[in-house]
Amino acid sequence: MFNNLIFIILFMLGFYALVMKTNLIKNVIGLNLMEAAVFFWVISFSDIGGEVSIHKLGEEVTKFNDPVPQALTLTGIVIGASTAALLLTLIMELNKFSGTIDRDQLEELND
Amino acid sequence: MEIPTETQPEVEILNKLMKKTLISGVLIGVAFALYHNFALMPEYQGLNEGLSNYILKSGLNDTGSLNLITAVLYDYRAFDSLGESTVIFGAVSGIVLILSRKMLPVSSKGLSFIVKRTLGIMTPFIALFGFYVITHGHLTPGGGFQGGVILAAISIIFSIVYGSAFDYRRYSPQTKTALETGGALTFLGLGLAGILMEGAFLHNLGFLTAETGTLISAGSIPYINIGVGFKVGAGLAIIFYSMIQKTFEEDF
Repeated sequence: MFNNLIFIILFMLGFYALVMKTNLIKNVIGLNLMEAAVFFWVISFSDIGGEVSIHKLGEEVTKFNDPVPQALTLTGIVIGASTAALLLTLIMELNKFSGTIDRDQLEELND
Repeated sequence: MEIPTETQPEVEILNKLMKKTLISGVLIGVAFALYHNFALMPEYQGLNEGLSNYILKSGLNDTGSLNLITAVLYDYRAFDSLGESTVIFGAVSGIVLILSRKMLPVSSKGLSFIVKRTLGIMTPFIALFGFYVITHGHLTPGGGFQGGVILAAISIIFSIVYGSAFDYRRYSPQTKTALETGGALTFLGLGLAGILMEGAFLHNLGFLTAETGTLISAGSIPYINIGVGFKVGAGLAIIFYSMIQKTFEEDF
C-alpha cells in the first residue's frame, strides 16, 4: 500500500507545480514529476518479488516479474524525455522573443 | 470621476491566497478520491493469465532472446518501438527546426589539462560499455535505448571537458544526422525484410536465429538494437548541440 501513497504524493506534487507555479520551467518539472510517479507506480505494482524477467543459461528460474509493464515503462521514459526536450526548446525561444518565462508577465505582455 | 484601472495590491495578494487555498483543496480532494480508488482495485493478476503468462512461458522459444523485456520491445511489440523511435525523430526534427542557426557552437574552452588527459584515457572504455549494452540487449539488461544514451553521454562529456568546438569538429552534425537516419532506416529495412521473408511487418527473421545464448542469436533483435542505439545516441547528441549553440558566434 505504500507505493499507492507515494504515487499519490508525487503525482499531486507534480500537479501542484503544473497548476500553481507561474514559471514555465517549473511547469515542465511538474509534468515530468507526474510522469515519474506513473512509471514508479506501474513498476512497483507489477513487482511480485520475483527475479528480473531475464532467463539465465543452464539455470531454471521459477518466479519472474512481469516483463510487459517494464517494456511499457521504457517506452514511456523515452517519450517523456523527447517531450521534455521539445518543451524546453520552446521555452528557450519564448524567452528570446519576449524576455520572460513567467506566465503572469506573459499575460500582461499580451494585454 | 476616475475609474481605478489597477487593482489594489492587498486585493491582489488576497486573490492569490484564495486561489492557492482553492487549488490546494481541489488537490486534496482528488488525492482522497485516488486513494479510495486504489482501495477498490483488484489484486494484481498479471502473471497467472493472459499476455504476461504467455510471454513468460513461450517467449524464449518464440524469439530466442534471453531478455524477455527486449523480446517484448523488439519482437512482440516491435511496431510500437518503431513508433517510439518516430517520436524521437519528430522531437529532434522540431528542435533542430526551432533552433536552427548557422552558428558554430562555441560556448566554452574546456577544463584543465589533467581532466582532458584522464578523459582521453577513459573515452574508449565508455564507448566500449555503450556498444556492449547495445549489442548484448537480448542477453543481459540493456538494449538500444539505454546504450544509445551512454553513447550520447560521451558527446556531452566531450563538449564539457574539451570545449564545445571539439566534438563539433570531430563529428560534424552531418555525421550525426547520417547516423540517426541510418538507424531509423535499419529498423524499417528489417521490418520490410520481415514482410519479404516471413510474411509480416517486423516479423523476427528466422534464418538469423542461432544457438540461444550466443551473441548472434535471437533473429533480427540484435540488428534492430544496433539501429536503435545509433539512432537514439545521435538524436540526443543533436538535441544537446542544438540547445547549446545559441549563445556565442565568434570564431574558434
